[in-house]
Amino acid sequence: MVAKTTIVRFATACMLVCCFLFSGAQLHAQRDAISTDEAVIKEGKALFEDWTCNTCHAVGRKLVGPDLAGVYDRRELDWIKSFVKNAGKMIADGDPQAVALYEEYNQIMSPWALDDNQIMAILAYVRNVEENPVVEAKPTDGGGAVSPGAGGSGVPESYLNTIVVALVVVLILILIVLALIISVLRKYVQDKGELSDDDEAIVNEKFSISAFLKSPTVIGIITFLVIVLAAKNVIDGLYTVGVQQGYAPKQPINFSHKIHAGDYEIDCQYCHTGVEIGKSANIPSVNICMNCHSSIKTDSPEIQKLYAAQESGKPIEWVRVHNLPDLAYFNHSQHVKVGQIECQTCHGEIQEMAVVEQHAPLTMGWCIDCHRNTDVNTKGNGYYDKLVELHNSSSKSAMKVADIGGLECAKCHY
Amino acid sequence: MTNKLKAFVPLVLVVLISACTANGDNPGLEYAPQMYHSVPYEPLTQITDKESGEWLSNREDGLGEFYNSNPNNPYSQNVRVPVAGTVKRTGNGMLPYRLKKEDLLAAADVVNPLPDTPEIKTEGKRLYNLYCDHCHGTNGKGSVDPSAKVGEVFAGVPSYSSAAKKNLSQGHVFYVMTHGYGRMGSHASQLSAEKRWKIARYVRELQQQ
Repeated sequence: MVAKTTIVRFATACMLVCCFLFSGAQLHAQRDAISTDEAVIKEGKALFEDWTCNTCHAVGRKLVGPDLAGVYDRRELDWIKSFVKNAGKMIADGDPQAVALYEEYNQIMSPWALDDNQIMAILAYVRNVEENPVVEAKPTDGGGAVSPGAGGSGVPESYLNTIVVALVVVLILILIVLALIISVLRKYVQDKGELSDDDEAIVNEKFSISAFLKSPTVIGIITFLVIVLAAKNVIDGLYTVGVQQGYAPKQPINFSHKIHAGDYEIDCQYCHTGVEIGKSANIPSVNICMNCHSSIKTDSPEIQKLYAAQESGKPIEWVRVHNLPDLAYFNHSQHVKVGQIECQTCHGEIQEMAVVEQHAPLTMGWCIDCHRNTDVNTKGNGYYDKLVELHNSSSKSAMKVADIGGLECAKCHY
Repeated sequence: MTNKLKAFVPLVLVVLISACTANGDNPGLEYAPQMYHSVPYEPLTQITDKESGEWLSNREDGLGEFYNSNPNNPYSQNVRVPVAGTVKRTGNGMLPYRLKKEDLLAAADVVNPLPDTPEIKTEGKRLYNLYCDHCHGTNGKGSVDPSAKVGEVFAGVPSYSSAAKKNLSQGHVFYVMTHGYGRMGSHASQLSAEKRWKIARYVRELQQQ
């Protein structure tokens, strides 16, 4: 009885193993059924891009849809073909693999009007990428960029350093030579021994530091310098009262403008959407961050804070950097849209700042200075035609902001 | 002794005054705080600490001088989201877009209300290069476009001129900008309907190149 059961079990196990081996062999046969012909691979690559498969799929990593590497080992070729042609129908019909995919990715792939040969060509491309992965050149930081300082004006930095070092060496040599001359002359004069007492004193004079420091001239000079420097510091310090230049507060998320605006060249307006249409430039809300960070750097703890904010609906409390006093009015759209002023003119090299700091003093003198020196951008703006005419009738210089009311008190203070 | 101490007075003064200068987390000393801080609700400033600036407050409600947040709003924000269905007054004659996320087929039939003029295309191009190019590339080639710095990392941004995309209508393009599509998110909060239609005009050009 027992032996019989054992035999049955053994037979079943053997059958299962056979099935497994057989199916494995069949799946391997599937892989082999996919062409490795160069022309087919090339066609497949073109199709993969033309039909935008690459939007959702990649070989070797998961994007929106599953990783395609080895898909021909996992699924029957016929299944792949009908899934590409109409995934929605397969899910609706209750195909277990299709339903499992839908549950995992929560997306239905759009139906694609591709024929069997095209699908096989795409698979050929996928197989080629999987089996012959491209060895990516290691990205070097700013490898292509010309290092600053080297470009532009004539002499490179290394040459300048060499020149400075050479000059210092020459100066030291001159000092040594002079010291030698002095000692030789002194020896010569002493050896002659024909000097008067006064001359003797001069020749043998020893330099005394304490006497030098105690001399009224030196004390006077040092006192004067200390007072002047202290006064300068005090005056400079007093001028910074009420001026927040240099303020660089820590933000709730370590956001770097250097990465976003510098390395990735995202325009300022993409996030600061109010800059052309309103008074404030606006701080982006989480949905704007999520346009990219839905799939970029999703593991970073800083980015996780975005997800938390999105989930709870609680806005991120960024710390305001530029606090223009309430007594002055400023409008971004007026300057950016009409005046065509670059953001960097007032905010500094934002694309280089890992932590944003207030670049300009935002004092009245600073505003006025710019209004006095900036030509009004009247080109292609009919609003200014008559003003320019009027201005040109009485003046030879270009029309500045100051000429059209840029110095009026009530423009900014009301 | 006192004479010697007096000598340090300027030094102390220097140190004290340098503390008024802004740096790092310190915004520096304010000269006339009551003129600096807004009394009305200020949209991009929010000070929820009720005691902030109590030392100089002469407010009738007894709160701190700098307190500036609206307790009636969610999270005490000073700004509110407009009521659902609000029609923009400055829409430049643009009617509200009522099509929902699931109405892609109907959206594809919507015709661009803006005329096909070079000015609109130029403006569309300018806006495209502000809001789209870092993912889609200056030439609209998607991730493989060398100017698509973000698209390269984001991966899989399709080319406008690919077989699958080049015949899509402007209504479809507008829908995608409004509601997002696939992995692309909605850009309706960044771009007004008018701007989106302008971009759609320019994208048409990129599709046909």
